[in-house]
Amino acid sequence: MTADPLDILLTFARLGLVSFGGANLPEIERVLVEQKHWITPQLLANGFALGQVMPGPNMLAMTHYGFAAGGWLGAFAATLGFYGPTALLSAAAMTTWQRLSRWRWLPSLRSALLPFGAGVLLAGVLVLARGSIHSPAGALIAAVSFALLWRTRVNAALIVVGAAVLGAVLSL
Amino acid sequence: MSAPTTPAASAAPPLPVQPPTPTGLLRLFVGVALVGIGGGLPAHTRRALTTRGWMTDAEFAEAYTLAQLTPGPNAVNLAAMIGARLLGGGGAALAVVGILTPGLIAMLTVTVFTLGLPGGLPSGVQSGLRGAACAALGVMLTAALPVLKVTAGIRFGPTLAVITFLLLAVLRADLLLVLAGTVIVGLILHRPRSGE
Repeated sequence: MTADPLDILLTFARLGLVSFGGANLPEIERVLVEQKHWITPQLLANGFALGQVMPGPNMLAMTHYGFAAGGWLGAFAATLGFYGPTALLSAAAMTTWQRLSRWRWLPSLRSALLPFGAGVLLAGVLVLARGSIHSPAGALIAAVSFALLWRTRVNAALIVVGAAVLGAVLSL
Repeated sequence: MSAPTTPAASAAPPLPVQPPTPTGLLRLFVGVALVGIGGGLPAHTRRALTTRGWMTDAEFAEAYTLAQLTPGPNAVNLAAMIGARLLGGGGAALAVVGILTPGLIAMLTVTVFTLGLPGGLPSGVQSGLRGAACAALGVMLTAALPVLKVTAGIRFGPTLAVITFLLLAVLRADLLLVLAGTVIVGLILHRPRSGE
């Protein structure tokens, strides 16, 4: 099954434009898993985990999902769609920033958007937990990773790689 | 629009700096991507820019705030903004290409290997990925903490965040509707005082 590249491009463009403050996992799951059936919950979690150990932005998982949906062309369409429009928007916003910074509604907009972003992040944690935790050992790995990242300055990629080794050994 | 040139007078950097060039900009963001395995891209970007003297801390903070406000992945938005500020539209394109390329090559290599196998993944690899996904959940939680902390300081912030969470995670409501509702309510609650 290979999805139409144009459909992939437009779908991922929409996903990028509705992400605030990073990834919008609830919407990504709703669209890619439940609506389009391009990926499974397992593949969603796999791609997200792979993104953590790649150089650069974590949401390169999009390339992984695009490949699953439509091969090489799908990977290209997903990457271009997810990053292209938002990058264009950002560059345009930068050039008008001087005017925007004096706009009296800007602090209001920030106060309105941040709680929304926090709610999306919390929902994303729940989505990811459902996709990745299948056992008490898995829950323990998640808890220990969180504690290590929160309390120490260990590199996140190291922790994810360590957890991968642990997962293979324990055969989760 | 032509590239905005920064005024040379304000806040002179300690060393005579090379002005940003297209190649230099591309190299900067490829470097940021390579050292940014496991996150912290904005911090690496800031360090790379200030050591080259291409941006002051205040200019960086401005770009960073704006990157939080625009939709999409923050690190890439930030790259596009900095590129646009230093070298115009072409600079924005170069910065985005630079920050994405190393990861794209790595991700495609791994993807072709993991998804291209006939009969699915070997069980050891799948178990490893499961372990990694659990750790990634921990990473996601730590990334959420700063946003939750800032939200806790906003009037009605926690309430609106919990409502958003319930609507999205439990009721599976349409995201754009939730976004529109939250922003309208938030704007009304935080409307600018007249007379300021």
